[in-house]
Amino acid sequence: MIGGLFIYNHKGEVLISRVYRDDIGRNAVDAFRVNVIHARQQVRSPVTNIARTSFFHVKRSNIWLAAVTKQNVNAAMVFEFLYKMCDVMAAYFGKISEENIKNNFVLIYELLDEILDFGYPQNSETGALKTFITQQGIKSQHQTKEEQSQITSQVTGQIGWRREGIKYRRNELFLDVLESVNLLMSPQGQVLSAHVSGRVVMKSYLSGMPECKFGMNDKIVIEKQGKGTADETGKSGKQSIAIDDCTFHQCVRLSKFDSERSISFIPPDGEFELMRYRTTKDIILPFRVIPLVREVGRTKLEVKVVIKSNFKPSLLAQKIEVRIPTPLNTSGVQVICMKGKAKYKASENAIVWKIKRMAGMKESQISAEIELLPTNDKKKWARPPISMNFEVPFAPSGLKVRYLKVFEPKLNYSDHDVIKWVRYIGRSGIYETRC
Amino acid sequence: MPYLGSEDVVKELKKALCNPHIQADRPRYRNVIQRVIRHMTQGVDVSSVFMEMVKASATVDIVQKKLVYLYMCTYAPLKPDLALLAINTLCKDCSDPNPMVRGLALRSMCSLRMPGVQEYIQQPILNGLRDKASYVRRVAVLGCAKMYNLHADSEVDGTLVNELYSLLRDQDPIVVVNCLRALEEILKHEGGVVINKPIAHHLLNRMPDLDQWGQAEVLGFLLRYQPRSEEELFAILNLLDSSLQSSSPAVVMAATKLFLVLAKEFPHVQTDVLVRVKGPLLTACSSESRELCFAALCHVRRILRSLPGHFSSHYKKFFCSYSEPHYIKLQKVEVLCELVNDENVQQVLDELRDYCTDVSADLAQAAIFAIGKVSAASPSFGARWASQKAMPRGTSETQGQTSEVTRLSIKNWANDSQIAGAIARTYTDQCVQILTELLVLRQEHITSAVVQTFRNLVWLCPQCMEAVCQALPGCEENIQDSEGKQALIWLLGVHGETIPNAPYVLEDFVENVKAETFPAVKMELLTALLRLFLSRPAECQDMLGRLLYYCIEEEKDMAVRDRGLFYYRLLLTGIDEVKRILCSPKSDPSLGLLEDQAERPVNSWVSEFNTLVPMYSKACWAAISSPQVSEPHGPEPSGNGVLSASGSLVSENKEERQPLCDSGSFLLLPNGQLTAEQFEKTWLSLEVAHREVFPWQGVAHPDTIQTALQMVNIQTIALSKAGVQPWKAYFSAQDGAGCLFLTELLLDPEQSQVRLSVKQSQAKAEALNSFISVLKTVIGTIVGIKS
Repeated sequence: MIGGLFIYNHKGEVLISRVYRDDIGRNAVDAFRVNVIHARQQVRSPVTNIARTSFFHVKRSNIWLAAVTKQNVNAAMVFEFLYKMCDVMAAYFGKISEENIKNNFVLIYELLDEILDFGYPQNSETGALKTFITQQGIKSQHQTKEEQSQITSQVTGQIGWRREGIKYRRNELFLDVLESVNLLMSPQGQVLSAHVSGRVVMKSYLSGMPECKFGMNDKIVIEKQGKGTADETGKSGKQSIAIDDCTFHQCVRLSKFDSERSISFIPPDGEFELMRYRTTKDIILPFRVIPLVREVGRTKLEVKVVIKSNFKPSLLAQKIEVRIPTPLNTSGVQVICMKGKAKYKASENAIVWKIKRMAGMKESQISAEIELLPTNDKKKWARPPISMNFEVPFAPSGLKVRYLKVFEPKLNYSDHDVIKWVRYIGRSGIYETRC
Repeated sequence: MPYLGSEDVVKELKKALCNPHIQADRPRYRNVIQRVIRHMTQGVDVSSVFMEMVKASATVDIVQKKLVYLYMCTYAPLKPDLALLAINTLCKDCSDPNPMVRGLALRSMCSLRMPGVQEYIQQPILNGLRDKASYVRRVAVLGCAKMYNLHADSEVDGTLVNELYSLLRDQDPIVVVNCLRALEEILKHEGGVVINKPIAHHLLNRMPDLDQWGQAEVLGFLLRYQPRSEEELFAILNLLDSSLQSSSPAVVMAATKLFLVLAKEFPHVQTDVLVRVKGPLLTACSSESRELCFAALCHVRRILRSLPGHFSSHYKKFFCSYSEPHYIKLQKVEVLCELVNDENVQQVLDELRDYCTDVSADLAQAAIFAIGKVSAASPSFGARWASQKAMPRGTSETQGQTSEVTRLSIKNWANDSQIAGAIARTYTDQCVQILTELLVLRQEHITSAVVQTFRNLVWLCPQCMEAVCQALPGCEENIQDSEGKQALIWLLGVHGETIPNAPYVLEDFVENVKAETFPAVKMELLTALLRLFLSRPAECQDMLGRLLYYCIEEEKDMAVRDRGLFYYRLLLTGIDEVKRILCSPKSDPSLGLLEDQAERPVNSWVSEFNTLVPMYSKACWAAISSPQVSEPHGPEPSGNGVLSASGSLVSENKEERQPLCDSGSFLLLPNGQLTAEQFEKTWLSLEVAHREVFPWQGVAHPDTIQTALQMVNIQTIALSKAGVQPWKAYFSAQDGAGCLFLTELLLDPEQSQVRLSVKQSQAKAEALNSFISVLKTVIGTIVGIKS
């Protein structure tokens, strides 16, 4: 259980403080500030113990969220709760920033009141919470009878994540496959480790209590189905992917998934994360970085970096950014690049090369001459890796949505009437090539 | 600045709150209230506007109500009489037609932490438990726990408890979980909520309805349930199978723990479970949420203790990325060196070598120590390696001597087993080569870590001695820290005969001994030089003389001076005696230099799984879990070892303590600390005054014992590590009359007995008896002696 929850800005000023239990005193607020936020050395651990009190912290941009407890709690749960808290806040007012927190502090206190009681997590679903939070301040007199009964039925309903009697004129759903591809590559171009962590996020605007069925090109399913016809296995076998590990939203019936590998569920209203997965095999690496660093004497470095895009020529990658680190004693840099813009940023000790768009199966190159100041520092330059950021309109894991069917037996709309949108976005996670 | 001029601010707020114009204008009124809350958040004491805030609570505006209630909950303990005024409004709200208002009022009322509120909240809580809106029921259930917490000494109300037990069958899942939480708090003294068969089965059936927090918590409560039969056990495991695949890591962790605990009789099931959670754990380890990743890595390390090869095929997942935070990198390095096998050793070593030159000195050193671990942890080489920090380095004469001796014995032992380790040899050679190459960089932190690793390697793999000795010359220029210097000096002392310039390096240290800041280095230097003197007398005699002269005549640190004197007197007895002492092969393995790294059964750590224990380092956890030292109220009345019967070591019960203090019959002085040297001297000069053997159960944790005895002013002189056999401990204490008590504990594992010998500096039978009774009470509380 959580004894208290504090939010600080980067200077260590308290923006929000809510104490749930007696064993946490006001001095805990200051203890965390002094020992962690103002500490000289870098953060040693996300869990800090100060005078027998455990502080769990999470940092979002320059905001610190800290949960405090004196009990021996499950660390995973506390962190998950803090993430959830961030999500809920983000759902209400967007980015978690000092300004937003200051402007919404009444709302945050309201949220903290509902999400935690006596330090125990209560209802934390954004959709369900909206019923209790009076961001605009509803006056109790004017609340209609209908609204009141909604509160009662919502919280007594059998399905905690969806209330009854939802109606939309247009039944619509959006499916986003969001992936982040992570790579660690050796200077010789060998893949040291690569994995994709993906999420399937669904936004549903469906009436009633619809039953949904979701299908993707999961290897196990495809193989099962392909058993009958041999040549189909050959065809689809190539396109199927092996998922290392996947988890689902609470609404998915896991028993059905285990027995038939089919994903069926009644979705919450609005946006939610249907599934989360991880793959490590047959990942399409959208970009390859080929670095070449040459030290010319003691005061000069020559760097040449080639990036190659490795996907269908018809697709376009966006927001490409290559970050080439430079030594601390750099005095000047000359950059020539074929495409995009490149700049040496002395404050970040890096050359940042930005390309707005790049089609598949293309190649681009940057070369730079770095002048160094002679130093008597014996420390050799550690050569940090070249990192990259990008966004591509496909799923690097190869995951494809095969179908999403909607059944609502009570209301008369069928699967065909639902407008469905599917989108794939692949982003770079930690995408590093050592040089 | 919120802290300056806060009085004016409060005055102004008060004025604004009283202003009828503002009161009439709702948005403005609320704005002022918001400002009050804002100042409260920043730590300004705004309790003086309590009266005005109470007035503001009588409103139809829910937001305003929420804010005022928040304010009241914060300041009610300071202004209990004024808070009572608000109760009326709250009570009225408790019967509002809107369930949200009812819930809000009830929650706030229960959160008013002030005496006397109990009588007002009892009835609303009871009504709330039967409310038709589940929102109110949720609040009411936790309200019971709050009410009980306010008056922890009051009798547990049987009817209330029964009502809560029946609410476990409530429709609403959150009410169910809240009931468990509330019962747990109310019945804390009786061991918490009882999970019998019907309740357990009911909870199992409700699992799918619960949200992630509820699931995680219910899984924790189910740990208490002991299935009657094997079939029931496996039925439960099958039912909960889906929890292992939950999207919430907290649920996965909780489920893993439950599975491991339930299947404690079936090791193959446990292994199976660990194989199944491998996927989720790896996902968590590579997740973008760093903090969760850290938690997962800590648990991976726990699992690796029992199943060393468990993650070996996924070793690449534990390679560090440049942009990861420091704490994750350190954990990953620790995991990596545990995963080494014949197939991946090359890649892992290459990776670790990259980290050795990292900008962060901490990570670089961790990587170097990790390479040392890899070289020692070869497959055929049964024992793992003790982390350098864990070794009781010679800070006192007694320990110093024994550890010297033990090092030798480990060397012999390693000699025997190395024959078996042909592969071990190749690991070691490679590691030594990597480490030697690092020395070329001439970085202080790297050289220091490499030399420390060398010292440890030389004990465990004596075959690498030659390579190490060749690499050493030149290192002395790049070492500045105490640990590194000690390691270098030790190596030079022990293997001085094979390093040509050893005496000259040591001579430099002797020259600069005046400027040396670390006493430990000086002590190490004394021992090393004396040792080298034995093998190369001609080169060392002169500087040994100088060093001894300095240590005895000029040194300020008593421990160094004592050691100098000791060696001087030893030398006076003749060279044969010196050899006998310094090179004696007698060993005492009890001091456990090799930390017990053998594979541990899953059951040994399962109770700590998914708690904070894996997240903190061992030492840190011991400090937290050890009983609280009495509150620092002025000068500490010297403890007299009164322990409450409940086993709590916090001697809070002053009534019990006071009369004993007054009688002054037996008191131990708080500052009776002896140095190890003094202890040894006194110990040898005295006769045993009391000997006793009593039964002993369980494993003693040294830190616990030390802290516990500290509280009754018994000082610990030396202790062996937990689990070492035979286990030994030495304590000293002094009473008001200046009588010293020296104690030895010797644990005999076969007969599960402990032998206690006490020596006394003045023969006083009465004091001796009191001392022994104090000591036995303390130890008895820790390990449960039946006396």
